[in-house]
Amino acid sequence: MEEVIKEIINALITAIMSNQVKIPVLEPVLKLMSQLPVGGFIVSFALWKPFFAALISPGFATLGILLLFFPWIERKLCGRIQWRVGPHEIVWWLGGIIQLLADSVRFLFQEVIVHKDAHRPYFLQFPFLTFIPTLLPLLFIPAGSIVAIQTPYAIQIILALVCLFPLFILGLGWASNSRFAFIGTVREAFMYFAYEIAFVVAVIAMVILYGTSDLVEIGNNQAIWGIFLNPIAAIVFFIGAAMATSRLPFEIAEADQELAAGPHVEYSGIGFGLIYVICYEKAYILSGLMTVLFLGGGSGPVIGMLGELSGLVWFLLKTIIVMTTLFVLRVIYPRYRLDQGLRIGWSSLLSLSLIAVVISIAISVGGGGVV
Amino acid sequence: MKKVIVKEQGAGEKVVRHARAFGVSLSESVYPHTATVFYPRERKKMPPNLRGYLMFKPEKCISCWQCAFICPANAIQMKEARNGRYYPNVDYGKCIFCHFCVDSCSGGALYSTKIHDVAYRDMDEMLTLTEEMIEQPEIVREDKKSVEYVIDRDDLHLKRRREQDTLFVEPTPPVEIPMVSQCIDRASCIGCRVCEQVCEHNAISSIMERNVLRMKIDTERCTGCGLCVKECSMQILRLVRK
Repeated sequence: MEEVIKEIINALITAIMSNQVKIPVLEPVLKLMSQLPVGGFIVSFALWKPFFAALISPGFATLGILLLFFPWIERKLCGRIQWRVGPHEIVWWLGGIIQLLADSVRFLFQEVIVHKDAHRPYFLQFPFLTFIPTLLPLLFIPAGSIVAIQTPYAIQIILALVCLFPLFILGLGWASNSRFAFIGTVREAFMYFAYEIAFVVAVIAMVILYGTSDLVEIGNNQAIWGIFLNPIAAIVFFIGAAMATSRLPFEIAEADQELAAGPHVEYSGIGFGLIYVICYEKAYILSGLMTVLFLGGGSGPVIGMLGELSGLVWFLLKTIIVMTTLFVLRVIYPRYRLDQGLRIGWSSLLSLSLIAVVISIAISVGGGGVV
Repeated sequence: MKKVIVKEQGAGEKVVRHARAFGVSLSESVYPHTATVFYPRERKKMPPNLRGYLMFKPEKCISCWQCAFICPANAIQMKEARNGRYYPNVDYGKCIFCHFCVDSCSGGALYSTKIHDVAYRDMDEMLTLTEEMIEQPEIVREDKKSVEYVIDRDDLHLKRRREQDTLFVEPTPPVEIPMVSQCIDRASCIGCRVCEQVCEHNAISSIMERNVLRMKIDTERCTGCGLCVKECSMQILRLVRK
């Protein structure tokens, strides 16, 4: 019995040690750490690829840091473009950089109000349930060679989870049981159908182009970036992502001026804080997917010192640029009406996505050597 | 009825316009034209003729009451000082900062400063007495820079200088036209002696002459304030050049 347990532990350790993130610049520090009795195990476990990808980067910790600073970056950037200042007064010599920290402290200690008409259990559950589809896709998005779960069905799983977001938003709106929330929910449902088909078809076009749906393979084997091979699919994906994150100009469901905050008008305190960051999580996942599909994932000039982290750095850089572009849309375009949004989704976006599929087929059949 | 027709744009033009929008946002995010002045830490440089907080020079005041008469908000009241003269008090609860009082002041006694940020604890404090208007008020200044709006390349820019703007401007002395009160129709005088009572410089005196009261104006003492002209019931007094 003891031998079996020992063998299992040994097998585990060899599995962990054989699948490490290699960082040449940190090698001396790691060697020093491995001489300590527990330190070595902790370090090697932290650098175990699936763990590192899921919980540190590009996974949970990176997402947390981004959530802490990205709203600030967005507000500051939009402010600059609109000749405003943006958040400024909290630590004003750093430009209000800890604004979101202050906000989150406020959200944390604010009273959570559940109004009389709300469906109480669902009303309280949905903000937390929404995190399932927003966090799970992180397991499948690779940064260079760092990925938690490598599977040939990565794109399908991510798309399935991404398509689950609006259902939870609908749940939020339904549980709120308020007129603004209802209108916002219905609009969200309309927009869901408007962008989803075109969005999925655009991704299918890229799958046809690459001949595989394994994201690691797609990311590492892009000799020419997907955005140059099939720019139409990239445009459709980008607009679809803008609609999916429901930011301006497609902020139809939330529409601050008309519906207060749409589906989440009734939330306060930590519930609102959670819903507030979901949009940024969505944006991170969709930007990550866009980076892998269209912008070569973690490919880029290899930084020798960082080893495998080099791919991660390039991936994060590209993702942040895509996210920034996605959010800068709100200062360039005014909000569309619901019918205009639906028209864009069902007519131009859908037809463009079909054209993208045709282009993909033409490239993969005709110029077989390109990809 | 005319209908506004928007010219239909071609696809190429649309793409160019979208690209230009992105380009503008990129250039603005790198080099923004932000026009915000961070007020307590820096102060906008105001023009010297700003209509701000009022100050007062009693030695130049001829007590003509013109400021009190002209004030559209009725914010200026004349109060008698210890020397028997009347000087203005400004109620900032009513003042609309039109500065008609400064414009109407013939001696240049009332003048403006660049102070535009005054705080009071209650309404009573807003009535500023003459004594408070003579001395320069105490100001807590947190500003390190002065900011100027500059228009170049048909865009607005902020020009920051590491200096404190002086808030007190020495007023330009007004062009003084010496005036004097004169009676144009002595025969119509009814001898009510209102002009004598109203004169603050004792320039008008009355003499009984063959049972008729005759008014005499001392041109040396007369400051040309025009109070007697305003008050004369027969309207026979005029202001003329000395």
